[in-house]
Amino acid sequence: MLKMNNVSKIYRTDLVETHALRNVNLHIKSGEFVSVTGPSGSGKTTFLNLAGALETFEEGDYFLDGQNVKGLSDDRLSEIRNEKIGFIFQSFNLLPDLPLFDNVDVPLRYRGMSTKERKERIEHALETVGLASRMKHLPTQLSGGQQQRVAIARAIAGSPKFLLADEPTGNLDSLMAQQVMELLEDINSKGTTIIMVTHDDQLARRAHRNIQIFDGQVSDIEKAVAKDVMRSA
Amino acid sequence: MFNYNLQLALKSLRDKPSLTFLTILTIAIGLGFYTTVKTMSYQGGQVPLAHKSKNIFLVQMDNREITAEEVAHQSRLVDTTYKDTLNLMAMDLPGVKQTFNWSTYGILNVEDENINPLRTFAAVTSSDFFTMFEPPFLFGNGWDKAIENSGEGVIVISKLMNDKLFGGKNSVGENVRIGTHTLKIIGVLDTWHLARKFYDRSFSTARPDNFFIPYTFAMENELPRRAGFDCWAGNADISRSFRTENTERLINSECSWVTFWAEIPDDQVESYNQQLHNYIEEQKSLGRFPREILTYVTNLNDQFTYINGRNDFMNVFSLISTLFFAVCLLNAVGIILAKFMRRTKEVSLRRALGAKKKTIIAQHIIEVVIIGFLGGLLGIVVAHFGLLGMMKIALYSSDYTRQLEDLQPLYALDFTMITNAFITGIVCTLVTSIYPIWRLCNTPPASQLKSQ
Repeated sequence: MLKMNNVSKIYRTDLVETHALRNVNLHIKSGEFVSVTGPSGSGKTTFLNLAGALETFEEGDYFLDGQNVKGLSDDRLSEIRNEKIGFIFQSFNLLPDLPLFDNVDVPLRYRGMSTKERKERIEHALETVGLASRMKHLPTQLSGGQQQRVAIARAIAGSPKFLLADEPTGNLDSLMAQQVMELLEDINSKGTTIIMVTHDDQLARRAHRNIQIFDGQVSDIEKAVAKDVMRSA
Repeated sequence: MFNYNLQLALKSLRDKPSLTFLTILTIAIGLGFYTTVKTMSYQGGQVPLAHKSKNIFLVQMDNREITAEEVAHQSRLVDTTYKDTLNLMAMDLPGVKQTFNWSTYGILNVEDENINPLRTFAAVTSSDFFTMFEPPFLFGNGWDKAIENSGEGVIVISKLMNDKLFGGKNSVGENVRIGTHTLKIIGVLDTWHLARKFYDRSFSTARPDNFFIPYTFAMENELPRRAGFDCWAGNADISRSFRTENTERLINSECSWVTFWAEIPDDQVESYNQQLHNYIEEQKSLGRFPREILTYVTNLNDQFTYINGRNDFMNVFSLISTLFFAVCLLNAVGIILAKFMRRTKEVSLRRALGAKKKTIIAQHIIEVVIIGFLGGLLGIVVAHFGLLGMMKIALYSSDYTRQLEDLQPLYALDFTMITNAFITGIVCTLVTSIYPIWRLCNTPPASQLKSQ
């Protein structure tokens, strides 16, 4: 489902070369819930950006849902992001001046869906996160946890195969974090592959599998708790 | 997708209304000034008689001595001698009309004693003046060749003079006196809009003459001649006297002072030139026309190309307005750039969620086109008032000797100029906004997503 072979990412300036990721070899199967941990600056976000086709890389191959994304055009990468990937960010990244309905609508608009289909998907997504009654509210009228749930609704509205979550609970208190985590687990239980970057060891342990990144190098740790959940491999 | 991009563009314009208004106002002021000047230049440079301007020719024959200095352009050259004028008029030229003119002056009276005598100028011309140059008639007509040949004292007056002397009524049949001569009015012109008074070669923005008198009457009665006499072959010393006396000597002299025009159909131009050449050859055998290049037959279009190109005041004014518009555009683009750069996080997010680069470009092009359109719209309003102001200044600087209705065509925003203003506003705003749009659409999708 997601396969990286010897992928490296180097940031270059006139004076310095920074190896953000070195020879990453990774295989994530369909339906997995994978947590990614590591210290600050270790390359977690870079890994997530590469996985989400938000950045290009110099070396190696990256197969997403069977397609090698290396060398694809900018337009094609946009299509892949739109159709196959849902993004959840630590800071929610909702558009503050748009109602919840329109926020969730953004990725669907770029897919060229009909008005009717978009409406159905948006309402369903907001229902899933428990905010269907507030679709005309602005993000600023919601709590942090609710905003993150809207972001999750936006991520799942297009029925992507992957959810990439970058510290989705980082800005939330423990109760809210718990609710968001349960929501992600629920989504995963319905077959969506989730890769979640987190600093929280407790949350990381709830994933099927944990990947640690240290100095741009990935070590893949099979989790004991994951033993019975590998469904769709 | 267009509808969605349009919605986003309109929303963006509404989000910061004061900034949007400032951008539009900046463009409008620059475009308004630019359009004001361009309209003045365009209207002032309009070639009269556009439907046949390529067929209306100024005819010049260079009868100067062989030692005379070369001139930079034929527009600098002399007019025509009276004897050549009459010889050309006598030529048999099928389909060709010819006329000529000079100016006279005098004290004009009417029978109504309540009207003060006025010092005035008048155009002296031939009957085809009216058929060639097509001034509009309010009452009556011009004179025909029979009247012309009879030497009868007739006159055509302008609407302005008809209003002033006869209270605007139909004055055909009334008499006026110029000096001691009585002339019967046979025609009253309506307002005659000429962007430039071309027929006397002044190309000035002054209004056309108020009186037109047949040349036969003027010569027979020795009306004074208001002309520059370019005399060769020994008449230079008495040339000034030709204004009021020595008519016989002037008629037979080599002094050029008559402005000669011909209306020549396309298929007759070559033939006309040939006949002119034959005439010169004939005259050469009589010892005249010593120079090599002797005739210039220049149509109105070519004359206006030359005149407009040498309108230094308007050219400089035009350059200043263009530079001012450019400065305004740069300021507007600065505002647009700042506004767009505040949007990098949103663009980054939209790109991450699947927006293609070209979609982002389209969204912002729509926004810029709307700004350009509104700038164009407001610019036209600014230009309207700018032209109104310039017209008032022109009225003031003429000491109110000119009428508003004479000036209005020179300061009129017509369909062409309005269209130009819109296109200029939109295209210039779009072109100068390429950089802000390029900067924005090249925002990497991942660059702004991590920050708070």
